[in-house]
Amino acid sequence: MLSLTLKDIAVSYAGLAAPVLSVPALQFAAGENVAVTGASGSGKSTFVNVVSGLEHVREGRIDWSGTDLVRLAEHRRDHWRAEHVGLVMQDFHLFPGLSALDNVLLPARLASAASSAVKRRARDLLAGTGLERPGQSVETMSRGEMQRVAIARALVRAPGIVIADEPTASLDEESGQVIADLLIGLAGAAGATLIVVSHDPALISRLPRRITLERGQISHDSKAAVI
Amino acid sequence: MIGFILADIRRHKGGTIAILLLVAFAVALAVSVTLQERALRLGSARAANAFDLVIGAAGSETQLVLSSVFLQPAPLPLMEGAVLQRLAADPRVAFAAPIGFGDSFAGYPLVGTSTALVAHLSPQLQEGVGLRQEGNAVIGSAVDLSMGAVIKPMHGTAEEGAHTHTGLAYAVVGRMKPTGTPWDRAILVPIQAVWELHGMGHDKAEHEEAGHEEAGHAEAGHAGGEHEHSADATAPINEDWAEHSAGVPAVLVKPKTIADAYKLRQEYRSGTTLAVFPGEVLTRLYATLGDAKILLMAVAIGTQVLIAAALLLVTIMHVGQRRRQIGALRAFGASRTVVFRIVWLQLFAISLAGILLGFGLGYLVSDVIGGIVSRQNGFTMPVAFARGDLAFAAFVTAFAAVLAVVPAVLAYRQSPAAALKG
Repeated sequence: MLSLTLKDIAVSYAGLAAPVLSVPALQFAAGENVAVTGASGSGKSTFVNVVSGLEHVREGRIDWSGTDLVRLAEHRRDHWRAEHVGLVMQDFHLFPGLSALDNVLLPARLASAASSAVKRRARDLLAGTGLERPGQSVETMSRGEMQRVAIARALVRAPGIVIADEPTASLDEESGQVIADLLIGLAGAAGATLIVVSHDPALISRLPRRITLERGQISHDSKAAVI
Repeated sequence: MIGFILADIRRHKGGTIAILLLVAFAVALAVSVTLQERALRLGSARAANAFDLVIGAAGSETQLVLSSVFLQPAPLPLMEGAVLQRLAADPRVAFAAPIGFGDSFAGYPLVGTSTALVAHLSPQLQEGVGLRQEGNAVIGSAVDLSMGAVIKPMHGTAEEGAHTHTGLAYAVVGRMKPTGTPWDRAILVPIQAVWELHGMGHDKAEHEEAGHEEAGHAEAGHAGGEHEHSADATAPINEDWAEHSAGVPAVLVKPKTIADAYKLRQEYRSGTTLAVFPGEVLTRLYATLGDAKILLMAVAIGTQVLIAAALLLVTIMHVGQRRRQIGALRAFGASRTVVFRIVWLQLFAISLAGILLGFGLGYLVSDVIGGIVSRQNGFTMPVAFARGDLAFAAFVTAFAAVLAVVPAVLAYRQSPAAALKG
């Protein structure tokens, strides 16, 4: 369970006049569930890349409970992300040719962290998502089932942060609802801070805090409005 | 990591097999060139091993070796019978065996010689007995005739439109053990019979007509038919060359010591005779062959470079196609070094399998070619790897390892965020 403090974050690309993301200050409490919304091109993906350490930012602070990603070298960020962040993406990024269980365990294995406890947890998580055959090859699964595998993968190392980028966008309504349930339920059970980038009103409505991005800036923050 | 690589290989089976085969063929080409050249060198050196010193009439050294050691049919000039007489009497000579060729039977070269050469080539016979009478023949191990078979010698070879000698038919009495030389395909008969059949070196009292022009004729240049001579198949062999000897194209000399060998070569290298160490002549031949090998190796290496370039292109494209996958791996926490290792290991493993397959394939091809050469020429081509091949294998492996670094570095430097956006 980690808390986030963003300060003076600005991401710009060469050739673009305005920064694609500019956040002077933002705080997430540990264990908070936050929805990030906005039109496409508003900076949502950049926001995900910045808070997950995928995109390197040279100035400001991205402080996750005392670890400032701005000051971490690339390999340290990789290491930190492997340990603390579970990612769920719109198009799953499962690896064909591997079974559901092997996909869930892949990040742990690549980090040489697939202990027997992790393996047990992988089986439990897969069972918890309602998948009955952990040995099933992922190519043979429906999209909803694939996303369940992806959620199990995100949670297998009990990360302090779960970040989901449009997790329901490529699913039908029914599957989307199952995924939303699982995401919120399992992240909550693990006590992880949950950040969900989404257009899906059904999913957004279930998250207590909502932030809206517009042209790289936070135009609305439901928590700030309350305060 | 291994599981992930295996899954990726399984998924790209076709491409993987294509790369594997490309590498295998490139390696096999170089390996078979090396092995063939070595086999030829070793095989011919072994074939020449039994022939310490060969003396013939003045002419081409190479032709003398090709005709005597490798039994390649060619018209060779004859030496006077006196040369054989002198050699047989020389105290420095352990034995001097005449070698008379020109006749053939069923595609096998028929060689007129002495009992000493039979004993030299095959101290113990595989079956049967040695030469005792003029009508006896001892065959090489690879001659497809059975004991007692009748041999009607043919002057020249069938392809040259030769005629059959009617004066004498030999009977197979013995078979030599395999020697791994072209002599395994030879039929050995008493030189005495050959002389008589060609009307040479007869006892003057018995055969009046023997004195005429025949003594000087070149073996294969004989325009057959007009003079048929006959010989007595049951006449005992007389190897007292001083008593009767006619012209021979070559004499194999076994000197008693190495010093004697050099002295003899010196002595018989002037005027009308030519003395050669077949090993030495072959060494000179290899020098020429060596140039051909360099050319072939250059072609083989050129092929390898082209294939390496094609491989590089393919793998770089493959990494490009896997941008998202590699990005995802990074996003899920795989470090850059893990990504590097995955890409490197995958390409290197495929290349290594290709290299191993290539060595196997190269060996197989060389072995098959060696087998064909053995069957046709009778001399064994020993196809074998040598220490030098290890260096080649190490070099190719190292090259593959270095080559695999290129796409691995590309994958290593790829930003995970950029990869996921696409």
